[in-house]
Amino acid sequence: MLSSDQEDLRLLRESARILFERAGGSGRSRKLRDAGGGWDAAMIRELAEAGVFGVTVPEENGGLGMGLAAGGVIAEEVGRVIAPEPVVVTVGLSLGLLRRLCPDHEKVGQIVGGETVLAVAWQERGPNGGPAEASCRYTDGKLTGGKAWVVGADGADGFLVLAEGDSGPVLVLADAKANMLSIKKKTQADGSVMGELSFSETPAEQLAEGPAVQDALTEAVNDATALAAAELVGLSDRAFEITLDYIKTREQFDKPIGSFQVIQHRAVDLHVMREVAQAGVREVLAQMDHETDPKTRARLASRAKARAVSAAKKITRDAIQLHGAVGYTDEFDIGLYLNRALVLSAWLGDDAYHRRVWFDAREEEGAA
Amino acid sequence: MTDWNAMSDAEFRKEVRQFFEAEYPEELRHLPHRPKFAEIEHWHRKLHAKGWVAPAWPAEYGGMGLSAAKLLIFYEEQQRWGVNRGRDMGVQMVGPLIIKFGTQEQKDYWLPRILSCEDIWCQGYSEPGAGSDLANLRTRAEADGDDFVINGQKIWTTMAHDATHIFMLVRTDPDTPRKQQGISFLLAPMDQPGVDVRTITTLSGETEFCEVFFDNARTPQKNLVGELNKGWTMAKALLSFERIFIGSPSLAQNALGQLESFARGRGAFDDPVFRDRFAQAALDVEDHAALYSRFADQLKRGETLGADVSMLKIWVTECFQRITELMIEAAGPDGGTIGPLQVGNVGVDVLSSFYKARPTTIYGGSNEIQRNILSKAVLGLPG
Repeated sequence: MLSSDQEDLRLLRESARILFERAGGSGRSRKLRDAGGGWDAAMIRELAEAGVFGVTVPEENGGLGMGLAAGGVIAEEVGRVIAPEPVVVTVGLSLGLLRRLCPDHEKVGQIVGGETVLAVAWQERGPNGGPAEASCRYTDGKLTGGKAWVVGADGADGFLVLAEGDSGPVLVLADAKANMLSIKKKTQADGSVMGELSFSETPAEQLAEGPAVQDALTEAVNDATALAAAELVGLSDRAFEITLDYIKTREQFDKPIGSFQVIQHRAVDLHVMREVAQAGVREVLAQMDHETDPKTRARLASRAKARAVSAAKKITRDAIQLHGAVGYTDEFDIGLYLNRALVLSAWLGDDAYHRRVWFDAREEEGAA
Repeated sequence: MTDWNAMSDAEFRKEVRQFFEAEYPEELRHLPHRPKFAEIEHWHRKLHAKGWVAPAWPAEYGGMGLSAAKLLIFYEEQQRWGVNRGRDMGVQMVGPLIIKFGTQEQKDYWLPRILSCEDIWCQGYSEPGAGSDLANLRTRAEADGDDFVINGQKIWTTMAHDATHIFMLVRTDPDTPRKQQGISFLLAPMDQPGVDVRTITTLSGETEFCEVFFDNARTPQKNLVGELNKGWTMAKALLSFERIFIGSPSLAQNALGQLESFARGRGAFDDPVFRDRFAQAALDVEDHAALYSRFADQLKRGETLGADVSMLKIWVTECFQRITELMIEAAGPDGGTIGPLQVGNVGVDVLSSFYKARPTTIYGGSNEIQRNILSKAVLGLPG
């Protein structure tokens, strides 16, 4: 017997899987990529109807009022079909910020209802190209400065921007079509676009201010990091299934290559990697739902992302090798999974980064 | 008779923990070697008086009758406190075999003697030509009057030099189409002229493993357990619970704890490369524990475990080995030194951990065999 929580998650998983499969699975994602990247507006509405975006939003604000574990279930399904819709960005970052800072704002209902998509602009690029201290300013209702690594910048209707106001940090909303906003698009390996935003006295509406903004951002990034890990788990799961099917059918020397022991043992290693990642990441998400200390939540999120990235790296790279030459072609779907894994790994920190964060957090906790 | 299974998990855990913490001799905690019976006899008497020698056996045979869920808790607490499993071959292997396949007479005679350790058992499975390919075993047992006469050789017989009896797989029919057929389960006394035991010195200098030679050794025919020539199926049936036990996180968790205190004392964490490798190993242990609980939950829900449980053993043993490699690395120029290395006021025996980790990927079905099993039974790969 599964507990009622587990049963809820099982049903959620099933309905999310059916929704994505009915929409066309990974084939749909390929078509969208070939059409120039971006996502499908009709799919956004369908996901909203299923309650996907509001999964962690309280019921009184129009959401499902479930936890991050439920968000992870959905993220895994997104990963399985490499769907380009900004599910993790929305559940983790934009709604992660808004539900903590201004849950009654009209945008919450609009995002949950699939009427609008907001991207979150919080990081900035420093002179050496890496992430740097924020210097974007907000004063007299206007934004000035730049933001980098904005996922979903291409299709979003607006941006939630973290900036320094006259008396501390602020969260402001800038319309995507605002004057004096320029967006430089950087195409990613999977065909998606990351935006580099430049504001020059760009009009924006203040949504929240004070230390709560920084706190909410920390927690939203924790959530998004763990959800991105779940998306990688789903991706790895499907990439392995595709590869397993392939080695069972591809014949060389008059036998399926999956009958050769060296291939079998490699496949087993990938399978074990996938199972460990799935168990670890799901455990983290469930623990994060019951954990209130942001530092512990950050450590947990790092554990999840470190594991998910290292598993996804190993599985997608080995998947190409096990496919042989056709794995190197665009025609086979396995390459789409590799490309998506590259993007999801780099976003919000890769495995080496998160091991460092995890280790430091553990040391800090040990010392305390 | 206490019905342990009626207790809540937390109550039961508390009860077990209290008993171990109060009664288990401090000097026997986390023993680095397998003890001879004399060394732990005092503890065994206490356990026997408590009725806790055989947690998995049904209560009617003198066991605790624990459900799978409670049994896991019992073992977790045992490992947590570093309680030595003692000379438990009889309890772990022979008892379940006799309970499942033995006659009433065999049960009445052998089971109480296992509980009291009047008989101490060793396991005679492997042979020089039958390791991973166990069914290739050749030790013969031929009927002769009321006895079987045994000829052949067993190897890797753990603690045979401190055992009174051996339970063994022997070939009773050499002419079968498949080598898995014609194998039987036999119990035999060790103290007789036809049995010769020689210890094997391992890489670490220990002598826990033995070779056992049978030269016209005898055992009464009534010591055949189960049907003649059906031993292989019975042996497989016995292994189901062991497969999660052998993949439990405890070995790696204990080693990680040792590594951490050693590395900290040695200042190894000043090196960012070492920090990363430590983090990798620590996360490997944490995420393995998450997977282990998934299987343990399955058991707790009363489901049977499939062949996929083998992955626990693969992961945790290889992880254990990586951890012990890191200990050697942290030891620097002392990495080749036998005995405890002093860090602060504790001694950490780096090489002993290293050696202890080596056979874990070999015993209980080598990790290569486990991969074969997973690839066919779980992934459905052909050939």
